[in-house]
Amino acid sequence: MIKFVVFVCGALVMSYEILGSRVLAPDFGSSVFVWGSLISVFLGGLSCGYYLGGKVADVRPSTKKLGVIILVPAGMFLAFPLYGTAVADWIFVKDLGIRLSPLLASLILFFPPAVLLGMVSPYTAKLMLCSLHTSGSTVGTLYALSTFGSIVGTLFTSFYLITVAGVTRLIMGQGVVLLAITIPLIFMKLSCPVAEPDSPPPQGERP
Amino acid sequence: MLTNRGRRALKGAFFALLLAIPLLAPALPTSEAHAARKGDRAEERVLYTKNSLYQYLVVADDLQKQERYIYNSKRDYMQGGTSLKHPDALLFEYTRLSFIALAFLDRTPKKVLFVGLGAGSMPRWFHRYYPQAKVDVVEIDPEIFKIAKKYFSFREDERMKVHIMDGRRFIKRSREKYDMVFLDAYQTDYIPFHLTTVEFLKEVRRILADDGVVASNIVSERRNKYFYAMIKTYVEVFPHLYIYKALHSENNIFIAPAYGRKKKAEDIRARARQLEGEKSFDFDLPSLNDYYGYYTFFKMPPDTPLLTDDFAPVNLYRYMGVEENKGGRKAR
Repeated sequence: MIKFVVFVCGALVMSYEILGSRVLAPDFGSSVFVWGSLISVFLGGLSCGYYLGGKVADVRPSTKKLGVIILVPAGMFLAFPLYGTAVADWIFVKDLGIRLSPLLASLILFFPPAVLLGMVSPYTAKLMLCSLHTSGSTVGTLYALSTFGSIVGTLFTSFYLITVAGVTRLIMGQGVVLLAITIPLIFMKLSCPVAEPDSPPPQGERP
Repeated sequence: MLTNRGRRALKGAFFALLLAIPLLAPALPTSEAHAARKGDRAEERVLYTKNSLYQYLVVADDLQKQERYIYNSKRDYMQGGTSLKHPDALLFEYTRLSFIALAFLDRTPKKVLFVGLGAGSMPRWFHRYYPQAKVDVVEIDPEIFKIAKKYFSFREDERMKVHIMDGRRFIKRSREKYDMVFLDAYQTDYIPFHLTTVEFLKEVRRILADDGVVASNIVSERRNKYFYAMIKTYVEVFPHLYIYKALHSENNIFIAPAYGRKKKAEDIRARARQLEGEKSFDFDLPSLNDYYGYYTFFKMPPDTPLLTDDFAPVNLYRYMGVEENKGGRKAR
């Protein structure tokens, strides 16, 4: 289950990034500045997420808490129609210039969910390491799954999903998927024994 | 860390792959040119190559035909071209066809917009015959502008300006009223999705004078999902749509006036004759009206989708329902 969660979160991050380009294009076009903003904001979000995820994972990790972490982007995705285009249009009207406008829009729309989804990898690694007493290969597997998920998310979204539904509905669909995977996480009782002070997990390394 | 690197590599690859999407580059491939190129590679002289922000660009002369082109990527598609012997003439059929738009305007155009510069032949041609008109050109790729100046004797002046920007952004920000808008922005062989939607066309209509006209270059094998979706979307925004099909290529010129009354083929021909008399263009404008066609000629399948900012899979539709033709790539 944990592995599945990692895979899905990896897929959704990249899927959201593809959809993000479509969200930005009507207001900011599709110049290099738009792509540059989008990619750097997602990478920035992920790197903060890895860092924070590692920190949070050191404090009594449990699947329940992981469920809560995932619940937040699920909510954001589901609420996307309420603020998505509104934010983009608002920044368009403000006009901060050809570079800053798409950067700010990306920051507002994409940074928070990228951070939260980024937290999933180190968090699950910690959970599996301490509760299941598995080794480095677990971490390797999780990273592989996460990145493989990203590939699947990217291809599936850009090659197929975009032809079947509108961008807004797809983003809401992502919310539904995330919501669906939080439910078992919340009921799953996987956590670390409180006592032992753990050695720093490998994913504690930061960029 | 690994994850991070993995993602970055993935992103790099993906960026390269989809670098495509963001492009607003001018379109101009025709079969004529395609054939010309295929013929004698040996007779070609490459003048310039450059990997720009948006595409790989090649400028080359066809020594036999005495023509100069801008190609991109694998030289499947042309972004523009000119005859070396007649540098002012419009080399490609579809560029001449686009100017049938002049006959849909009942007065002299004062302000026009070109989206997509290419070799700059269309703005240059227009500027030559209408030196009093104000011409704006919007082009996303700064390298294209450099090439147009260096190899295709394109010149800006007080009345003709190039804006390096995404076309949609320019139009959305514009407060002008244009008498004619020419849409010809292509990424290799397709129009970036955000320049195809209902929302975009409404923005175009907003900057159009009440009696103004849009002329849009749509490269498509006819009767596929892409073509019908384009028709449906134009008709959603404009009261009438006329489709002029190029004879020698896959280009279709969509003429969409902002005004409500329908123009008959005779009216257009009469107006074209009158213009011809005044200006004596370097090609026969009235004869182009033989290509006149009203959009209802095409029976759209009932499930034809409307293209919106939310839903516009145009670059995927583009090849749907079209048999792969082995000679390969249909030149645009």
